Amino acid sequence: MNSLYSRLRGTAVWRSVFRSGTGDTNLHRSLTVQQNIFLHLASVKIRRRALEFGVTWYLGTLSMASFVILVVTGVLLMLYYHPSVPQAYADMKDLQFVVSAGVFLRNLHRWAAHAMVVLVFAHMFKVFYRGAYRPPREFNWVVGVMLLLLTLFLSYTGYLLPWDQLAFWAITVGSNIISAVPAMGAKIRFLMLGGHTVNANALLRFYVLHCVILPLIAAVFLAVHFWRIRKDGGLYTGDKPRE
Amino acid sequence: MVDCIRGTSPVSEPKDFRASFDSDSQRTPVRVAFVTRRTTPHVTKAGDDRVMTNPDALLRVAVAVMALLIVLVVVSLLFDAPLEGLANPLQTPNPAKAPWYFLGLQELLHYFPPVVAGVVIPSLVVLALVVIPYFNVNVEAEGFWNRNGERKSILVWVAVAALSAFLVWFSVYAVLVPTLVSGGALIVTAAAPPQDKGFGGWLRSKPLPFWIMTWFLVVAITLTVIGTCFRGAGWSWVWPWGEL
Amino acid sequence: MPDQTPHVERACPGCNRRRFTTAGVGSLAIAGIGSAVFGYEFLSPNALYEPSPIVDAGKPERYPPGSVTPDAQSGLYVVHGPEGIYALSAVCTHLGCVTAWRPELDMVACPCHGSKFHIDGVKIEGPAPRPLPWLKAWLNDEGNLMIDRSEALTRKQYVRVQA
Repeated sequence: MNSLYSRLRGTAVWRSVFRSGTGDTNLHRSLTVQQNIFLHLASVKIRRRALEFGVTWYLGTLSMASFVILVVTGVLLMLYYHPSVPQAYADMKDLQFVVSAGVFLRNLHRWAAHAMVVLVFAHMFKVFYRGAYRPPREFNWVVGVMLLLLTLFLSYTGYLLPWDQLAFWAITVGSNIISAVPAMGAKIRFLMLGGHTVNANALLRFYVLHCVILPLIAAVFLAVHFWRIRKDGGLYTGDKPRE
Repeated sequence: MVDCIRGTSPVSEPKDFRASFDSDSQRTPVRVAFVTRRTTPHVTKAGDDRVMTNPDALLRVAVAVMALLIVLVVVSLLFDAPLEGLANPLQTPNPAKAPWYFLGLQELLHYFPPVVAGVVIPSLVVLALVVIPYFNVNVEAEGFWNRNGERKSILVWVAVAALSAFLVWFSVYAVLVPTLVSGGALIVTAAAPPQDKGFGGWLRSKPLPFWIMTWFLVVAITLTVIGTCFRGAGWSWVWPWGEL
Repeated sequence: MPDQTPHVERACPGCNRRRFTTAGVGSLAIAGIGSAVFGYEFLSPNALYEPSPIVDAGKPERYPPGSVTPDAQSGLYVVHGPEGIYALSAVCTHLGCVTAWRPELDMVACPCHGSKFHIDGVKIEGPAPRPLPWLKAWLNDEGNLMIDRSEALTRKQYVRVQA
């Protein structure tokens, strides 16, 4: 098994895909991180202390993991969803009773969304209580606050999509809060909903925000967030060396 | 950065710096910092312990991600996501509740006009979160009561009393109670002996930002729990276990 | 230091970096403002497929004196008080939930945040910032009661019908 794997890694095709070569030296291990577009945001070495569970509780990692789960399940759900009234609700029923594994995917998407909100909040409080927000990491904290807001917007726009009573009234109340903004509140609400009431236009706008615009913005902020971890000196492990 | 430099300039050799490398340096990328001028960098740690991202960090991340995935899959198999009837603009369900993470806000909307609870307070919270690292960074993280205890205790009493009076005026008891609890804890810890090794001493070593954030956390949790479990038809108070 | 760059015949004698930057930043600003205006116009729908704000509430005889008739379809109450008929909006002024008429309590209650109102729209308690508005109501040529939901009255006006 092992020899098969190493022979596979020696083939011309494998080496053309993974340019880091073979071997288990530290140089090779560094190259696997450096030469991989997904891993290269991380540094090749990390403080041993930063990997201990108690330092981060892996909350940032888990937030990102829930985001990935949401992207995968969300894209699959999009294949059976029409953002129109009242077809959207009928699609929910189809997912429940007609589509194979549809109810499972919808459940996973829903619970992962709740999990992501919890994890992002927990991540923020953990970072605060460890003092990891202090200079030189202050800008990354701000990026993190933006990501928290994006998480809430993503969750909120997704809340309308099933087009059931829960969704409709949560968005009605929420959009009326926006119209309380002084001077231009009613205008903002009109632009957000694409009308005076929560209706077909609002559903379509929330769908586009939820599936395209907000995830793209979140992906950009996530890239900056991870990049800045490294540029600001790696994961914070505390001022004092451990006794 | 500085941990790569071993030793400073010897007396006999007035060079600006001297750098040396680990034996592993031929294979491992090394960062080198050149400290110009004849100063000794203040090194608190002699080379912190680092491991390779691949495989040490990647394996742990993979385990964490899989653990989350397993938990979510099990939850998804056991519990169905809620789905109510088709949206009906003519009939408001009673009570009409927002998603749980907005229920703290909805509870505030019960007490204050929408422009205060829906616009001003959330904007202030976001603004406060953004400016945290720029305002009173408190790098030393000095305990709140360590200095000027007398003057600070007057300030704390005034601040807690003013906030409580405001909350009583608007009868926002859902915020008043957590405010009194966290403010009271702050005042009580002033009396804890500084050498206390237990919980009191730990609390006493905490700086002001800790107390403000904890107050915010306790208020947010209280409001969210009240909005989720203790509010029924017409947003009236109900007990989650039913009538007594 | 002597100028070592070879002399080049300039196509545009008056050009320099400052003018280029000014012109560039200026045109970018104009383009930005234009994009904002077009973006706003694009995002505001010009045709809305929403129900008409004017509703036909039928003959006024349908509403006997002393009655409160909720019309959930249109989000309003038709009230026949001692002084005549008037139409009261059922949409809570707080956050737009549809209120419910509670005859046993003789009041209008909002399910969302607990606002309560008298049947003349005046708030009893709760977070609602304004009373429920009175809606413009009139009798059309056929004698039907018409109500315009988009127009709130500033003073109390009754539609009087011969008993």
